[in-house]
Order: sequence, then C-alpha cells, then structure tokens
Amino acid sequence: MKTNNTHHKAIRRNIRNAALFSIALLVILLGYVTYLQVIESNTLAFNPLNRRTAAAANKVERGQITDNQGKVLAFSELTTQKEYRRKYPYGAVFAHVVGYDSPKYGKAGIESVYDGYLSGQINPERRLGAISQLFKSAAGNNVMLTIDARLQETAYRALGNNRGAIVALSPVTGAVLAMVSRPGFDPDSIDAEWNNISQAAGSPLLNRAAQGLYPPGSIIKVLVAEAAMAEHLANSSREFNCTGKLKIGPDYTLPEANNRAHGKINLTEALAVSCNVTFGQLALELGRAKMAKTFDRYGFSQLVGGDMPDNLPKLPDFSQLSDGDLAQTGIGQGSLLVTPLRMAMLASTFANKGIMMKPYLVQKITAPDGTVISQTAPEKWLSPVNPDLADQVARMMVGVVKEGTGSAAAIRGVQVAGKTGTAENPHCAPHAWFIGFAPADNPQVVVAVIIENAGSGGSVAAPIAGQILRQALR
Amino acid sequence: MNQTRLTEFSLLLIAGLVLLNGFLAVMLASNQFNYQSLSIVVGLIIGWMVISLFVRRSLSTADPVLLPLAVCLSSIGLTIILRLRPDLFIPQVMWMTVGLIAFALTAVVFRQIEVIARYKYLCGITGIILLLITIVFGVDISGNKNWVILGPIRFQPSEFAKLLIIIFLAAYLSERRQLLTFATRHYGPLTLPHPRFIAPLLALWGLTMAMLIIQRDLGAALLYFGTTVTMTYMASGRLSYVVLALGMFFIGSVACYLLFPHVQIRIDIWLNPWADPTGHAYQIVQSLFAFGSGGVLGSGLTFGYPTVIPEVHTDFVFAAIGEELGLAGTAATLIAYILVVYRAFRIALISPTPFTMLLAGGLAIITALQVFLIIGGVTKFLPLTGITLPLISYGGSSMVSSFILLGMLFAVSEAKAANED
Repeated sequence: MKTNNTHHKAIRRNIRNAALFSIALLVILLGYVTYLQVIESNTLAFNPLNRRTAAAANKVERGQITDNQGKVLAFSELTTQKEYRRKYPYGAVFAHVVGYDSPKYGKAGIESVYDGYLSGQINPERRLGAISQLFKSAAGNNVMLTIDARLQETAYRALGNNRGAIVALSPVTGAVLAMVSRPGFDPDSIDAEWNNISQAAGSPLLNRAAQGLYPPGSIIKVLVAEAAMAEHLANSSREFNCTGKLKIGPDYTLPEANNRAHGKINLTEALAVSCNVTFGQLALELGRAKMAKTFDRYGFSQLVGGDMPDNLPKLPDFSQLSDGDLAQTGIGQGSLLVTPLRMAMLASTFANKGIMMKPYLVQKITAPDGTVISQTAPEKWLSPVNPDLADQVARMMVGVVKEGTGSAAAIRGVQVAGKTGTAENPHCAPHAWFIGFAPADNPQVVVAVIIENAGSGGSVAAPIAGQILRQALR
Repeated sequence: MNQTRLTEFSLLLIAGLVLLNGFLAVMLASNQFNYQSLSIVVGLIIGWMVISLFVRRSLSTADPVLLPLAVCLSSIGLTIILRLRPDLFIPQVMWMTVGLIAFALTAVVFRQIEVIARYKYLCGITGIILLLITIVFGVDISGNKNWVILGPIRFQPSEFAKLLIIIFLAAYLSERRQLLTFATRHYGPLTLPHPRFIAPLLALWGLTMAMLIIQRDLGAALLYFGTTVTMTYMASGRLSYVVLALGMFFIGSVACYLLFPHVQIRIDIWLNPWADPTGHAYQIVQSLFAFGSGGVLGSGLTFGYPTVIPEVHTDFVFAAIGEELGLAGTAATLIAYILVVYRAFRIALISPTPFTMLLAGGLAIITALQVFLIIGGVTKFLPLTGITLPLISYGGSSMVSSFILLGMLFAVSEAKAANED
C-alpha cells in the first residue's frame, strides 16, 4: 500500500504541474483579450476597414449641412431598405467644400472632417456600453457653413468651363464666403461614376481653391512692395527706372511684359502697371534672407489647420537661389507655388489692418433640437505687418483698379482694391490671377480668382473678381 | 437539504437569472417578445433544477459547482444564439435539454467507474472507429470535414470520440504507468520505454496527422495530440515524452505547411492578416474589429454588428460576446471556463485511484485546450482552428458531449467522497 501511495503522490504532482500549466495558458489568454478590448480597442474600432461605424451611421439620420442662411446643401433620405442615403441638392457647386459620403468610397470634405458630429457618434456616452443606448439620439447634428450659397453659385457660374478656383473671405473674421473649384463633380453620383471621376484628366476631385498649387505671378508683388517699404528700400519719393529689361549678372535678363519700358516711376505706379523690372530689382535689394523672412511672416511655411483642407505652399530654398531666380521670385515666377486660399489671405491682411484671420468653414454645429453644440469664434492667425503699412499697400492696390491693370474689376460707386497676375507656367498659356477686396475703405469681402491657362489676369480674372465682389456687396 | 445541495441549488438559481436576464434583454431590445418562448426558458430553468435533484439522489456529495457553471455558460450561449440566429434558439434549447439528460445519465452510469475501466479497449477501439468514420465518410461543412450524415441526423463523431479515447488513455496509462516511468532504453538524450509500450501513443499520433491531412482539421488534431501528450506526462512524469511529441508534431506541421496550401493559408493569415483583410483574412479581421468595437462594456445586446462575421454563431461566437458584452462578457466567460478547468483538476487531485485521477485530469486538459485553441484562434493569439467553444457555440454534438464530459467529472468527484468518508 505504501508504494501505491508514493505512486499516487507522483501522479498528483504531475497533475498539479499540468493544471498550473493549462490554467496559466488560460490566464495569459485572459490578459491578451483584456489588451485587445482595452488598449487596442479604439485602434480596431476606428480602423477604416471596420464597417461597423458605417453600418451604425446608416441607421442614424445624418445631420444636415447648410449655408450661412440655412439653405440645405446636404441631407439624408430614407431609402426603401430603411437605410439613409445622402443627397446633395447643389450638385457640383458645393462638391469640394461639402465633399461626399459614399458607402463604397468613404468621405471627403466637411462630410469627412465633421463626420463625428454629423453622424452623432461623438458622444461621451460611447464608453457606457448598453447604457449608452438610453442617451442615443435618433439624428446627427447639423453643421452650418460660413459660405453664402448665392455667392458660391455666382462664383461657380463665373468660372464657366474653365479650370480654376475662386475663394472669397470675410477679411474681418476669416469666414469663407465662397470656395469654388472647377472642374467639379456631382457628389450624388460618386458611387455610380467613381472611375470616371477619380481618373478624369482634369482631376475634378482636387479642391483647387485650397489645394491647387500655382505660380502666383504678379499678385505676389503686393507682398514684395510691403517688404520693400518695411525695409525702407522704397517710399513715396523713390523713383525706379524701367528700361524694359533688367540685366542681372553677365548672362541673365529679366524682361518686362511685351518688353515695354515704363520709364521713371514710383512704387505706387510700378504696382499699378505691374512693372517687372522694379519688383525684380526690389527682390534683389531685399536679398535672400529678407525675402525668406517675408514669406515666413505671412505664414507661407505653416499649415492653416482647423477645418481648412489646405496644402502647404511650395517655397524655393532661398539660400540656394541665383540672382536671376531671386528676381524671378520677386515677380511670382520661378519655383514658388501658392494656393488661391493663401492669396486671398494675403489680400485680407492688407484689407484688415495687417491682421491675418484664421480662415474657417463652419459657423456652428447644432443638435437636432436646435441647441448650439459649438460655434466658431473668429481667431487671429498672424499679424505680419503693422496697420500703417497695411493701409499704404491697400491704397496702392486701389490704384491698380482705378488706373492700372485691374480696371476690369471696378464697381461703380464702390472703391475696389486689387492686383492682377499673369503667371507663366510650363503648360502653355499663362494662368490669369486676381486678388482684391471691396469696399477699399471698409473691406467686407476679399476675393482670389485663378483661371488656368486663360491669358492675362487683367482681362480674364479681373472682370470675374468684379462680378464676385458686386454679388458679395449686394 | 445538506450544504452541498443547497450550494448547488442556489448557484443554479443564479444561472437561471443569467439566462432569464439575457433572454429578456434580447427579446425586449428587438421587439420580439412572446410568452411562448418565455415559458420555454422558464421550463428549461426548472428542467435543470429537476436534473440537479435527480442526480443528488444517488450522488449526494459530488462537486456542487460543475453543473451551475455549465448551465451558466450555456445560458450565455443561448442568449447569444437568440440574438444572432433566433431561428436556432429552439433547437439549441432542445440540445441543451438532451445534454442535461445526458449529464444525469452519465453521472449515474459512471458511478461504476472501475467497471468501465475494464472495457478500456472497447472504448479505445470505438473512439478510433468513430474518428476513422469521420476521416473516411466525413462531409465538408464550412471548411472542416468532420461531419457525418446518417439519414436525417448529422453529427460530429469526433466530439464523442474524444471522450472514449480519454477513457482508454486513462485506463491504459494507469496500467502501464510503471513501464512508462521506468523507461530502460536510451536514444541519444531521450530515455524511452520499449516501442511496444508506446505503440498506442504512436498510433494516436498517426491518427491525428491523418486528421490534419485528410480532414484539414487542425483544431481537432491539436486537441487530440495535446491531450494524449499531457496525459502521458501526467501518468509518467517524464518531460522527454512531451519534448519528443512536440518535436514529432512540429515536424508533421512543417511538412503539412510545405505540402498543403490550406495549412499555409491558415498560418499566413495568422502571421499577417492585414495583408489580405478582405479576402482570406476577412473572418479574423472582422473578429478583431468586433473585440475592439466592444471595448470594456460592449455595445449592448442587439446593438452591435457581429453578423458581419461569417459563421459567427459557431466558431466565432466568442467574438459576438466580445462585441456586444465587451470585456465584461469575455472576461466573465473565460473566468467561468477557468473555474471549470480548476474544478476538474481539483477533482483529479482528490481522486482515489490512478485511473480516476488520469480520467479527470484528461477531461480537464481537453477542456482547457479546447477553450484555449478556439478563443486563441478568434483573437489571433494562435492560428485559427475550426473547433467549437464548449457549451456556447451552436451545435448538438458539441453541447451533448460537453455535458457528458461534465457528467463523468461529476461522477468521479463523488467517487472521491465515497473513498475518503
């Protein structure tokens, strides 16, 4: 019996080892499941391949997107399958701002950035499990944009069949009043036409207004003029001599448009006639470091952020520029590339006493019962220039429209400030640019217009800008 | 009523509340409430109370926690089945009823445990025949060839074969214990007994390899193999068997990986499911999303989307628990299984004879392994293997065999008491 007992003891010891081993396996598994559901929870839950968020969203009536007057730009409609589908009454007019919400191809624009609010999923109760079902509302929140649908439509029509973009801002608040990009697409047909839309030669999905990168051409001269005055390289009395071309070094010449000589002119006149020789020379006098600093001052090396889907402008590496390239940068050519939004912001700085406001698209977000969830307060972004100097540049810009290249933007009875640009580019005809604001003494609206490959800014972009300004002031 | 009975009775009542609560939550949230199904649920709860009273007439001191844990886990399963596939709820209730009756019968029959040990070869041969039937006549249902169809009945013989093979192994190993322990032959660093004595173990290894190759059933193969190896260790105390067996299994697995594309796919999607998240790895990726979306407290019953996972009510039922009940539900389930395994090992440790010790130990091991393999599989802790989650997954064979297993443990736990008193 004794040997039997020792044998039993041995088996018991082995069983105890096996028990410890297998229970340890299960405890490790418990730890791993805890890791999955606590630490990895959000990563997995919000993985784009996880259809649950989309499936949950289909059961909730997604909030409306409206313009600043409450006109509906996007709403949800119940299909026969008891699921909600998105509708866009304005079609391509708002396509780039509002974006789209497709079960297959995801979301873009405001639909994407404000998805959490529109779908009603941003709620602090998510972590409460089943209890959160008690607090859930049946509809998402509504998003009201700063955009004025009538101005947006005017801008969309004004672009016609050209490729290009228009941005209109309130210089005082930074609210975006219109943002149009063409070619557009119909967000209602994004599912049916995806292949055509996404592969079209004109890149209709690109929001040219905030993301299109273009050489600015002569519209950048307002910035150079400000820098020259700030550095005391120019004042009301200094005269420049334009001979029709600027010789730089032994083998480089910066030509005037049409090789026309402007003769003896001051800075105001040079801006009005958009004299390349004057501004090329000013860029050289400012030098590489001060030019780079000027672009930095105006925020060209940082993203706007917030709800603005903007692209960073492309600045040349100033320290590596040759004299010729530096002079080119002074007239907005060379490797400098900017977005229409940035040019509107540049103009708004001179319209708003030297303060650059942060542009924003969403006015407020309201719950289905009308409660305001959040409201955007205007926010100062940068103050690159003192009010005095900003005012001087603004007055010079009035001259451009009054008796210079921008006369096509003039409005009867209202003083308009502006600057035209004709940006040479490697792809055939130059881009036509215009930036400006009105009324000049009490600016209400700033506009930036670019028409790709359409010719001169004065004859193509300026009349369109005039049309937008007129509609905005109506 | 003595203390043991009272404990069991109260725990069974609590399990009844779990089922009633789950049933009402699903029914009320999905607006499908009806009194007919409520009476079925109440009937089932009364049913397991009656079963408890019945088995207590002849087994008065057996473990009072096993049956309540089993019905509690089944209640979680029933709730999830009702939520996922309301059409399968009544069949699952029926299988559970059959399981409870099987539990009672097994508990009574296995009081004569030493008699059953005498028929070990009959058990072993029947078990192997059942497995061979599956291998030869198996029908492929959702990827695994482990179904046999007999007229109107279709079942998975391997679920029952595993019980018979454990009985055989327990009897065989307890008899040959000394031979295995005091091995005389040396092969390099390994010390092994004469091949004659380990022949049955080699046969089982061959059988599991056949299951792996012919049936593509990685899960069942691992389960049988792991159980055999661990039971051999428990009987002999020799880790060299474990090392040797693991080596053999590893070689077999590598060969399978190289030879069979389906094994390759399983391993590849385990190593990197994100390479093909919408193709081969769809199930496992969706399962991971379910666990993530559930978080700590879950979405609430009926408020999640577990049905995006194909076959969620069988192999992936644990993911549905993870999504709708959250970590609260998955941890509760896992802890319940850990308690079952713990109680089973405890029964093994206080058993009177080597045979009953090994029998209870084997049943404990196979339960632990099965839970580990399937939960590890659906959480991407291990490669995915198609086996059921005992007592929770939908399916008759699995449900009934799990209750038979518990009935065996229940009878063994009584045997201890008889001996010690």
